[in-house]
Order: sequence, then structure tokens, then C-alpha cells
Amino acid sequence: MSTRRMTAFIDALVAGRRPDSYHADPEDVEVLRAAIALRAARPGDAAPDDEFVADLYDRLADESGRSVGSNVHPLRMRRSRAALIGVAASIALIGATVGITEATNNGATTTSAVQAPHGNVLRTATFETSQGHPLGQIVVYGGSPGWVFMNVHVPTSNGTVKCELRMTDGSIVAAGTVDLHHGSGVLTKQIDVDTRQLQGAMLYAPSGAVVGSATFA
Amino acid sequence: MSSAPRPSAFRHRPDSDNTDVARLCVVNADTYTDWESVYRDNVNRLYRLMYARVGNRPDAEDLTSEVFRTALGPLRLASSKGEVRSYLLVTAQTVLASHWRRTLGVTVTSIDPESDLEALTDRSEPEEVGDAPQRAAKVLASLPERYRRILELRFLEACSIKETAHTMQISVSNAKVLQHRALRMAAKAGLEVSP
Repeated sequence: MSTRRMTAFIDALVAGRRPDSYHADPEDVEVLRAAIALRAARPGDAAPDDEFVADLYDRLADESGRSVGSNVHPLRMRRSRAALIGVAASIALIGATVGITEATNNGATTTSAVQAPHGNVLRTATFETSQGHPLGQIVVYGGSPGWVFMNVHVPTSNGTVKCELRMTDGSIVAAGTVDLHHGSGVLTKQIDVDTRQLQGAMLYAPSGAVVGSATFA
Repeated sequence: MSSAPRPSAFRHRPDSDNTDVARLCVVNADTYTDWESVYRDNVNRLYRLMYARVGNRPDAEDLTSEVFRTALGPLRLASSKGEVRSYLLVTAQTVLASHWRRTLGVTVTSIDPESDLEALTDRSEPEEVGDAPQRAAKVLASLPERYRRILELRFLEACSIKETAHTMQISVSNAKVLQHRALRMAAKAGLEVSP
């Protein structure tokens, strides 16, 4: 059992994914250590992603109310991600607007400010291949109702990819299947998950092969 | 989030003599002026250190984040850069130990705040930091041909086990066994984690 799970751990390392947890035997340690050392020796993979560095900077500033110095120019969110969040937020706004319109038509006289989702209720991540090539992005909104929005681009594919969300407690939530046309597809779906517990998302081909993965910031 | 131990440089030191006398505080030129410069100066190297210890990007990012989120709160900017880096490393040591305890139940790799200090203080370009590729190449060169080949295909060329088996013209199950034996031999040959 341990050998199989250790093999799975090593497979994840090789593929650049986060390995699953398991109860390792002490004799596994030297093999795991050698695998990590070899993986870390792969050229070009040891540098942090610019987006990660910028996002962490923003989170640290937000969390503690630290001010951003005038001489600091961290890299900002990629345009594609900003655009995606804009699209996703628009969907939320449309939903909220419909709700308010219905309430108004039904005689409600109060006015409401429609707020775009923000903070911990909106989580985003980028799908990447095991080689680090971007495949698309995913946004999960944890409000009521909650929803998931993703765009996926898998060149040369016209089939489908299945998306699963991975939670921090190890549970898996099916997010839906994306139909690809000329390699691209979009999925929007109502979903009920605790966004604070989101860890990552996986894309699978119909054969079960892993197409890509994403880790929520 | 882990609660990192605080090195002595970050503990409160009450004045032991004449407290009525106003004191001039000597500011060392080798200090950080704000938390942003602490972050900017250390995030790349700290990430690289974590990456070398866990071998995958998602975990390295999470652990790097945890180190900064844990360490920046109690950080005293009046401390020297060396003390700040030591503090970051002590925090990183705790965060990494907690990671292995949580995920595998055994310590696979660790950070030594003293011997790993060079990883944060080395001012050369980040691309030049660490000799992991050279060390790995040296160990791989000492292995029998088939062992060396399977580890190269898997870890350096990112081949799947199926692709590796196909390239080496062996079965998938044979490739798994070969990989396991090769890793054991590599470990015995001295392949260890280094920043």
C-alpha cells in the first residue's frame, strides 16, 4: 500500500503537481528525498512565478493593512486573469440585478447596492499543464448562490474535459464538464462549495488522464 | 498557520540601566527600511529554498506564503538584515517541519537556519544560486546506465512512466520497479537535497 502511494507521490512530483498526503514509512524517506532532489534539479523550474510573487505581496499588504511604498512596483495581476474576474463578476452582477429587478417589479421600494464578489468568497486559479503551460482559468464564487466559471484551451482537442475541485480536507467536488470546440471551451455552473476550503482543481480527459491542474491562490 | 519560534534578536530586551536618560538609537545601515524591502529582498530566495525542499511549485508557494504571513507580523525592522534573514529561516524551518508532519507523518527534508543562511544571503543572481543540478548530474553519472537513464527521463525530461517505458523498451511495471531501485541507489550514492 505504502509503495503504491509513494509511487503516486513521485508521479505527482514528476508531473509538477502537488503530491497527495499519505502515511509514509520511515524507509520511504531516502527515496522521497532523492526524488525531491532530482526534481529540484530540473532546469528552469526553481524560480518563483511572477504572478505568485505579486499576488503574495498584495495579500500581505491587504491582510495587515500595510501600505505600499512608492518605490515598490510589484507585478500586477495578469490581464487575462483580471478580464476573467471581470467576466465572472459580471455574471454575479447580472444574477443580482435580475433578483433586484424582480423584487422591484413585485413592489419592493427599497434600493440596493449591488456589490461585486470579493475577498475570500471569490477564488481564482490558473490551469496549467505539468510542464507549466497555461490552459485556462477558473473562478469560484462562494456566495448564495455560488457558482464556478472556467475557460479552458487545450490545443488540438475537440472533446471534453472534466473538472474536479479539490478541497483542503481531501474531498473532491465535481465542477462539471467542458465541451471543447477547436480546443476551447467555457463552463458556467451553479455550485455550492465553501471557497475557504478550496485547494485546487484538476482537468481530466475522458480517458482519465490528467490534462492540467490549478492551485487556488 | 504555524507559530514560529522567535530568535533572541526579536525578544524584548528591557533596559537594565538608567532608564531616565534619553537614548539615541543607532540605526545600522544594514537594516531594512520597511516590510516591502524585506519581502522583495527575500521572497525569491526563500521560494527557491522551499522548492528545493519539496520539489513542487504548489507546495513551495504555499509554504513560502506561510513563512511571510507568520514572520512579518512580529518582525522588528530595527534588527539587522542578517537577523531578519535568520528569523525568516527559523520560521521556514518550523513551517516545513509542520508540512511534512501534516502530509507524510515523517520528516523528509528540513531547513537548518545556520547552514542554510547562505541561501538567503548569497547576493549573486538567483539563477546562480544553488548547485542542485550539478550535484544531481554528478550522482546520476555514478549510476549504472539503466538507472541513470530512467531517472533522467522521469525527473529531468518530465516523461510519464508510460513514455519512459516506451523509450526504454520495457514494460510499465518494469519501469516502476527500475525507477524505485534507481532512486534507492541514487540516495545511497549521496543524492541529497540542497538549496
